Amino acid sequence: MSWWQGMGLVYGRGLREQLRSRTFKIVTAVLLLLSIAAVVIPKLVAGGPTTYTLATVGPAPAPVTTTVGAAARDGGFRTAYVVRPDEAGVRDAVQHGDATVGIVGNRMYVAERNAGAFPGIVAQSLVRLQTARMLTDFGLTSDQLARLGSIRPPEQVIVAATQNQGRANVGFAVGLVLYLALLFSGQIIAMTVATEKASRISEVLLAVLRPSQILVGTVLSVATVATLQLLVLAVPVLVGTSVTGSSWLPAVAAPDVALAITWFVLGFGLFAFLYAAGGALVDKVTEAGTAVLPVTAVIIAGYLLGVIVVLGNPGSPLSVAASLFPLTAPLAMPIRWGSGDVPVYQLLLALLLTALAGLGCIWLASTVYRRALAITGHRVHVGELFRRRKGPSGPASR
Amino acid sequence: MALEVCDVAYSYGERVALDGVSFEITPGVLTGLLGPNGAGKTTLMRIMLGVLSPDRGEVRLHSAPVDSTVRQRWGYMPQERGLYPGMLVGEQVVYFGRLHGLSRTEATTRARALLAELGLSERWDQRTDRLSGGLQQRLQLATALVHEPEVIVLDEPFAGLDPVAVAELSDSLRDRARTGCTVLFSSHQLDLVQNLCEDILMVNEGHIVLRGPLVSLRAASTGVQLRVNVHTPDRHWLDRFPGTAVVSEEADEVRIAIPPGTDPLTVLDGARAAGQVDDFGLDLPSLSQLFLESVDPVGAADGRTT
Repeated sequence: MSWWQGMGLVYGRGLREQLRSRTFKIVTAVLLLLSIAAVVIPKLVAGGPTTYTLATVGPAPAPVTTTVGAAARDGGFRTAYVVRPDEAGVRDAVQHGDATVGIVGNRMYVAERNAGAFPGIVAQSLVRLQTARMLTDFGLTSDQLARLGSIRPPEQVIVAATQNQGRANVGFAVGLVLYLALLFSGQIIAMTVATEKASRISEVLLAVLRPSQILVGTVLSVATVATLQLLVLAVPVLVGTSVTGSSWLPAVAAPDVALAITWFVLGFGLFAFLYAAGGALVDKVTEAGTAVLPVTAVIIAGYLLGVIVVLGNPGSPLSVAASLFPLTAPLAMPIRWGSGDVPVYQLLLALLLTALAGLGCIWLASTVYRRALAITGHRVHVGELFRRRKGPSGPASR
Repeated sequence: MALEVCDVAYSYGERVALDGVSFEITPGVLTGLLGPNGAGKTTLMRIMLGVLSPDRGEVRLHSAPVDSTVRQRWGYMPQERGLYPGMLVGEQVVYFGRLHGLSRTEATTRARALLAELGLSERWDQRTDRLSGGLQQRLQLATALVHEPEVIVLDEPFAGLDPVAVAELSDSLRDRARTGCTVLFSSHQLDLVQNLCEDILMVNEGHIVLRGPLVSLRAASTGVQLRVNVHTPDRHWLDRFPGTAVVSEEADEVRIAIPPGTDPLTVLDGARAAGQVDDFGLDLPSLSQLFLESVDPVGAADGRTT
């Protein structure tokens, strides 16, 4: 049986057991509900485009309705018109919420709340109307008036703290998603390994498989389930926002998404094998949570470094170090990359170091898995594993 | 020559678990591995299965070193239940069959046959953790046997089983041994081992202290006693047999300890020459006595004379 076949058997078994578990069903259902809620609730709260109402004495002047209508199309809101017999009626309509703005002669009544930019739009249209009348009196032709009307204000560019806000959002999201995924999946990996050790299943497995086959299969099965759950969370949101045209999700460039996925995979792999090593150290399954606390502490420290130090000052020496050091890079580098000030060689170096550290973690976890098996009755300390083989003489046969 | 363990040593830090252990196991012969707690039995089995790497020595099958490919054809049952509690019974047996190189179809066919043999066919779709302890023990045996292994190593397979289950499991192991399998199992149930095993291995403090056919070991033991009902009060006829000693004497019946190397029949002839012999018998030591002699000779001797 090849390495891949053996690993595949462990992977398939782990995947089936997790998909069948009650925890998976409950968590997936909750994530699905959250995802659907993220699409539906904003729509329910928003209740469609805002409608502003203009009250006038008699029908609203056609030039005003034309100008306001054009502004409504550009601004994504609707307009409605109500007619009142006199000025008191117009004022009353605004006061009682039947109208947003009321016009009587040269006076404009404005609702105290929820008027938004509508009073300004109406006022501007009235000014334009008066200006056009005066310019006509001054002798301008209709073509000249049209050219004046085509003047548009300059394009507004909102300047954020980072050069590329979309990329910064991705960096922040990678850290958050990786942090949450590891906290949940890491516990499952540690529990699985601890259960196999406590029940001596690992002895049967090690008689026919290498530790790396067992651990890679276990980690991949948990990673697959985590990915499925992330898709359950993300797909309805993405489909929903694309169908409804909602724009609350920021636009993100495809290369940034690809880089984010790469960091997620590398970070997940690295820490997942550390969780597996932690699970192999315990004597009882109930000790698994405590045994992996150091791994969890490293993840939390990396995340805090990312959101506090790196986000605050991406160019500081500590930020550079955190974004290159393999145990903090998956959480810190995506955030620093979002600042736009990272040399490409540093990004590639961080990726390489993290990938190598991931391979090192597979070796470490495999060694711990095999050696910790022989020690029962108490929780194993890592130092104990690497000290204990000094006693005997003669070469080992394997 | 089948399975050989050659000069195997293993230490847990400063504590020596096995120190130059060597023995052979004959195919087709049920072999029991005995020893007090902490003697090194489980460590020895783990080394044989490749779970632990020995500090010295090696395990050989058919005169060749054993590797992971060879171990694919071995079956192992650890001391505690090495089963996934959440897996279905049938699925579990198929999984372990596939781990030992069977195709899915072959593993399923063999799993169905084996579970039927072990009385678990009705439990195919039941979760493992819903089975009783005894049924889980049978299921674990099924996972060790599904690939029809050439070598079967079982660590305390009878622990926690009721007499009916013990009898069924014993029959299963006898059947496997008859087909030529090499079967080694450890147990603390010495009466059971005495009834089931032809060969025994006894480990104490990391050394093999006794090994061989059980009948020969019992006959060669210091605990062999000749019981003879001889019509003479005189015991001087025993002087012709150095090393013999009277263990007990009631009326005409005398119980004589026979030293190793002395043929009990010659002692019987001596008794017949001294007087009329109405009744006689040879009492071999039980496995429990052999065990105590091997692991605690002083205590065992005290126990015999008191």
